[in-house]
Amino acid sequence: MNASVQEQVFKIIAEHGKVDVDQVTPESTLKDLNIASLEAIEIIFDIEEHFDINMPDRDPDFDADSAKGLVDAVEEALAAKQDGAADAGAKA
Amino acid sequence: MRRIVITGMGAISACGMGAEPLWQAMRDGRSAIAPLVSPDPAAQLRMKVAAQLRDFDPTAHFDSARLGLLDRTGQMCLVAAREAVAQAGIDFGRDGLAARTATVIGTGVGGEIARDEQGRKVHGEGSSRVHPLSIVRMMPNAPASHLSIEFGVTGPAFGVVSACASSNHAVIQAAAMLRSGLVDAALVGGTESCFSLPGLRAWEAMRVVADDTCRPFCKQRRGMVLAEGAGVFVLETLEHARARGATILAELAGFGMSADAGDIVAPSADGAAQAIRAALDDAGLAPEQVGYINAHGTATPANDPTETRAIRQVFGAHAERLAVSSTKGVHGHALGAAGALELIAAIGALREDILPPTANFLDADPACDLDYVPNTARAQRVDAVLSNSFAFGGLNAVLALRRCED
Repeated sequence: MNASVQEQVFKIIAEHGKVDVDQVTPESTLKDLNIASLEAIEIIFDIEEHFDINMPDRDPDFDADSAKGLVDAVEEALAAKQDGAADAGAKA
Repeated sequence: MRRIVITGMGAISACGMGAEPLWQAMRDGRSAIAPLVSPDPAAQLRMKVAAQLRDFDPTAHFDSARLGLLDRTGQMCLVAAREAVAQAGIDFGRDGLAARTATVIGTGVGGEIARDEQGRKVHGEGSSRVHPLSIVRMMPNAPASHLSIEFGVTGPAFGVVSACASSNHAVIQAAAMLRSGLVDAALVGGTESCFSLPGLRAWEAMRVVADDTCRPFCKQRRGMVLAEGAGVFVLETLEHARARGATILAELAGFGMSADAGDIVAPSADGAAQAIRAALDDAGLAPEQVGYINAHGTATPANDPTETRAIRQVFGAHAERLAVSSTKGVHGHALGAAGALELIAAIGALREDILPPTANFLDADPACDLDYVPNTARAQRVDAVLSNSFAFGGLNAVLALRRCED
């Protein structure tokens, strides 16, 4: 079975934050995990590449919101991607 | 010490062709930010707005042979320089002045459009041939070189690169040469245009770009708005300007530079404060003598409160009486040209006794608690002003200007 979206997102966060994946909880903020804002945008980039999605600019607030917020945003983007799958002509 | 004055200025920006339309827009708080004109209309972009040139026709300024040599940064810089030199009424051919004139032009990335055109041929079309003038179009020293050629000035000439502080660093390099006696006059400024598709994508990826407009220092600010443009100035020693009876626009009284030596992008209040303090010391200005600061004020979440703290750190109680505005809501963030466009605001404030406002200001942010002259210009006489530029890479450059009456 494939890893859940949450597991995949947490793995990306843990790799960038150089923390054990068990330390990442839905409530953790990037600040709690000591992840600087530049690393935060790299995390977003890796998530976008990993899931082949485009994340919105400021929702959630990646610096202040929780890892759960990030997972929710990824799930929303994945759902939007599925809805838009018929629109094959759209460029990324 | 040899004093330095500004005797000519020229600009090209989203506000129009010339320094005057730019100053008028800044003074009126009239934003030139508009829907993005995309380099690739088929590409879906998150960037929605920008401050781009609307009525710039390069063929009206250059013949085809000359155009072939020029990236957009070079074109804009030359047009701005012609205006500045005409205003200064300076004749570089007289008394050996050409050899005693420096040319220092800042740019953040150099000839991005030229680079992108050739990149598209190589990667997109699989072409094995690129234009033979690609290198001379895209090299970051090209604008400085073209100015030296255009005006026949043969003194020290080079480009300066420090991202969003490039213009101010360029002005300072020339000012230091003027002070030292190395030269008597200088052409200085900055130029930038990086509206290529990869350029826009790179800015999007940093997530610092607003999708509505640029609202410096206010609670609803959502980031910077990318701009293009160029600004060029004629600097001279006071002695030289007086000897030829030139009209003096302002005195460049001092300057300060610093490196945060910390985070590559997150701004530091200490680093900015060090540069501001250095500019005051260099100009021999007490904090109380400064009436207005043209702030870096990018409208990113990080810059504006950090710059506010830096200003408070240096000015203490006087910060309460200081007017601070960012004109980026009007002309956008022109990166390597930003300091040059904003120097026109600083000069305008001194010459017309009018402080340009911070445009697009909605509600106050508790983290930004200075007087930002929201939305409406203020008639106020000030005798000394600062212009701040802070760059990615943690590089800071601040100019101090003074009214020149004696």
